[in-house]
Amino acid sequence: MNSNSSDNNISRRDFLSLATKFILAITSFVGLGAIFRFLEYQPLSTQQVEFDLGSTENYPIGTRTLIPEAQAILIHDEDGFTALSLVCTHLGCIVNNNPNGFSCPCHGSQFSLYGELVKGPAKKPLTQLRVEITDDKQLIIYIV
Amino acid sequence: MIKRFLLVSATILMLTLFVVVWRTYFQITPIPITPTLSGETEYCITCHTDVAEISPSHPVETFGCVICHGGERLALDADLAHSTMRGGKNPSDLQVVEESCGGSECHSGEVAEERDHIQRVKTTIQATYAGAITNIRYTYGAQKYLVAQQGIFAIERETAREKNPLSVDALTTFDPVPDENPSILEFASNCLYCHISASPDPDAQRDNSRFTGCAACHTPTIGKDINNSDQDENRTPIHQLTTAIPYTQCNTCHNQGNYNLRTMTFDYRDDKPFDRLHDYYQPIAQFTRCEWTLDCADCHTRHEAMGDGNIYSNQAEQEYIQCRTCHGTIDELPLTKVLTDPEDIAFRLSFLNPVIDLKIGDIIIVTDRGEPMWNIRQLPNGTFEQFGKASGQRFTFRPVKGTNCEQDLDQQESQYCHQCHAVER
Repeated sequence: MNSNSSDNNISRRDFLSLATKFILAITSFVGLGAIFRFLEYQPLSTQQVEFDLGSTENYPIGTRTLIPEAQAILIHDEDGFTALSLVCTHLGCIVNNNPNGFSCPCHGSQFSLYGELVKGPAKKPLTQLRVEITDDKQLIIYIV
Repeated sequence: MIKRFLLVSATILMLTLFVVVWRTYFQITPIPITPTLSGETEYCITCHTDVAEISPSHPVETFGCVICHGGERLALDADLAHSTMRGGKNPSDLQVVEESCGGSECHSGEVAEERDHIQRVKTTIQATYAGAITNIRYTYGAQKYLVAQQGIFAIERETAREKNPLSVDALTTFDPVPDENPSILEFASNCLYCHISASPDPDAQRDNSRFTGCAACHTPTIGKDINNSDQDENRTPIHQLTTAIPYTQCNTCHNQGNYNLRTMTFDYRDDKPFDRLHDYYQPIAQFTRCEWTLDCADCHTRHEAMGDGNIYSNQAEQEYIQCRTCHGTIDELPLTKVLTDPEDIAFRLSFLNPVIDLKIGDIIIVTDRGEPMWNIRQLPNGTFEQFGKASGQRFTFRPVKGTNCEQDLDQQESQYCHQCHAVER
């Protein structure tokens, strides 16, 4: 009876050793979680300024292609590629594309099919964006 | 000894990590927006997801919140975020409106482009309250003539604007203290609620809830509780700006009752109107059918309501629309103009409140000061159609010329028209 009882009892040394291991294990686990969280941290994304639109063949002559992620429109006509920003030059609302050109839903500015100012309150035409064609015929537009 | 040290260190580290995890778990995840106008990220909508867009002209993606309201754009703590807000819940209050709504591309731009809203509103009699102040000071001998000298706040002469001969050069701040007349002091304590710099009378016996500044008129508040929006979680804050202003908003100041010049208090009307006809005007008022079926803003122009930049001594100098503005006289048709310029302000106003689809070539009525009545268009048969700015309702009317009306040409004020056309209640 006594012998059994002494077998079941854990010595102070063993208890402390076990507790240390247990706490170290938990700490390691929580610490690893913290490290993973740190590694996964996403800072505020900076504004993308360069947009790869793929092959020029995807935009045949006569097309007007909205590029929503760039808030822009790509126009391909006989003179080549033109990209226009859809940000209204008045206060920065996104203009609507319509058959006659562009109209601002906020304050009513209107622009022609090529972004020229038709009616205020905007005072400037839509901003023309830089378009580049790489050696392998890939289209890139830059929004600044 | 080493093991004990290890145990204590590990325990402290574990507890610290638990605290960090606990705090991280309950931390609000910010919802960022980067408005195109400012280009600066702000976190306001993290908490304010339920706030409606204030107007189609001010989309949150373009304007964000901070550009109008101020505040700490990246703070997630409510007290810190709100600590630097302008005008509390109302950035259009006249004390802060220049900072909130101003700017040359916004509401304090060129006079020639009619973008000088803020400058004009600050001189309007609805803001200066110069009419009432002048009358009271004149009546009780504090000034010699019925010409404005003082207003709710001082205004200096603006030299850039062409001056109306009726207007005065400047106002000083109304200061009743040096006036020993008790009536003027009573007026100062009891009667300074009805201008757009002041909150309404808290003891009013009628629903007169409204904001101050631009929002006094442009944010319809009737039937809404403008004070308890934060206390009641089922109630979202009033967040609206509109040019479709119903008469009920005008009546948060107007048609509330009358001054009692004997006691120098305000006597609220005590009738219990049950419909628009009875609610619109006070019981003693005379008016025609068109007046109560339309809203105030359907006839009264921007320069009448928001001022034309001149400082007037009374309401009659600033208000100039008469029945004949739209109906003409027995001899003359109302003034009209053909819309030929796409930049005409009539198009801008109708864009902001699209109750009418104006086109180049349309003929609209203009006032004798040249303001467009952009919601009134002439029809091919010579009659006119008018669209309610708040109701969108279409009305038609004909000019007086060619009818049986025998109105004397020298008697064109509404009181004369009311002799035949007044509505019986």
